[in-house]
Amino acid sequence: MIFRAVEDADLIRQATRGNVESFNLLVSRWEKRVYNYLLRITANREDALDLTQDAFLKAYQNLRKLDDPGRFAPWLYRIAHNEAYSMFRRRKPETDVDEIAPEATETKITVGGSSVFPIELSLAVASALDRLSTDQREAVVLKIYQGFKFEEMAEILSCPVSTIKSRLYTALELLKIELAPMKARGVS
Amino acid sequence: MSCSPFDLKDYFLQELPSPARVQVEAHVNNCLTCREELERLHLTGAALFSLRDEEIPQRIAFVSDQIFEPSPVRRWLSAFWGSTARLGFASALALSASIFFFAATRPAPAPVRTVFAPVAAATPSPQEIQQQIQQAVVKAVAEVEARQAQQTKQLVADFEKRNDETLRSVRWMAGELDANRKRTQITRTAMYVQPGESGEIK
Repeated sequence: MIFRAVEDADLIRQATRGNVESFNLLVSRWEKRVYNYLLRITANREDALDLTQDAFLKAYQNLRKLDDPGRFAPWLYRIAHNEAYSMFRRRKPETDVDEIAPEATETKITVGGSSVFPIELSLAVASALDRLSTDQREAVVLKIYQGFKFEEMAEILSCPVSTIKSRLYTALELLKIELAPMKARGVS
Repeated sequence: MSCSPFDLKDYFLQELPSPARVQVEAHVNNCLTCREELERLHLTGAALFSLRDEEIPQRIAFVSDQIFEPSPVRRWLSAFWGSTARLGFASALALSASIFFFAATRPAPAPVRTVFAPVAAATPSPQEIQQQIQQAVVKAVAEVEARQAQQTKQLVADFEKRNDETLRSVRWMAGELDANRKRTQITRTAMYVQPGESGEIK
């Protein structure tokens, strides 16, 4: 008997045959990552949870359309991205998605003085991320937190790699100005 | 502005291939500005990672509902129509089955009988060979004689033609001679005419 880890591709294959338990296992592997991705671009826990559920439901309904099981992650994030942007448009069809106010818990803080405590740093990061445009924030989340390659990000966001790089570099410049000195103080 | 051979952000984001990474590392060791820039990027990254992932407040799970779930036959049919390989295999199977059925049920054509006429072995006797040789010789001699007679006839005809032409030219020359002679006589007669008989010559 040969033991090997059950890969996503195996679960996807079984799920396409109607095995719901396989899909549930797939969900349990990805739900936390998808939820945190959506939480960081919506800045709202309820919305992030609803969108995560919607994204997985859509994924289950369209699983047979996934040609290459190896591309499951970008495909799933693409669905989650589309769900989030559909919600933004539904809520504020006439305003830009960047103008949507984040959740009240993510308060903007200003950090001056000497050392910075971890909680303060986390809040400062949340605040700095909120100050980015939605596109820039999403690029940072996909690259820094989710670890996608530029090509995968281009697939998820449906735009050229050059655009992704431009958004990410601009965001990094802004974050660097705000966060690097603070982190240096916290470290010292 | 960075003077690194490759973008430090690409290095920081781990989007550079190994040889490029080595070059950047070598450059950063010798360049204070780039080292500080890379340090700032690492600090930014560390600050960003201070924001931890949250646990999902409610686990997601799907339940198979027998009411809404399609029957096994429908599931099999939808899987069948959704798979190109299965459709292709089924088509090939149907095609080969129909060919086999056609071949098995079609009446066999009546065999074509080919009648071969017996060919007698042609082995001539020595007399026949001799006779054939003689016939061939006679035929060849007759052909040579006929060719020679033809050539002789042609030569005679050419000679007669040339002879006629020569005769004609001789006659023409004789006529010319007679005419010249007559003209000479007339001239001579005129020279010996008396001056009083003609008013022109004095």
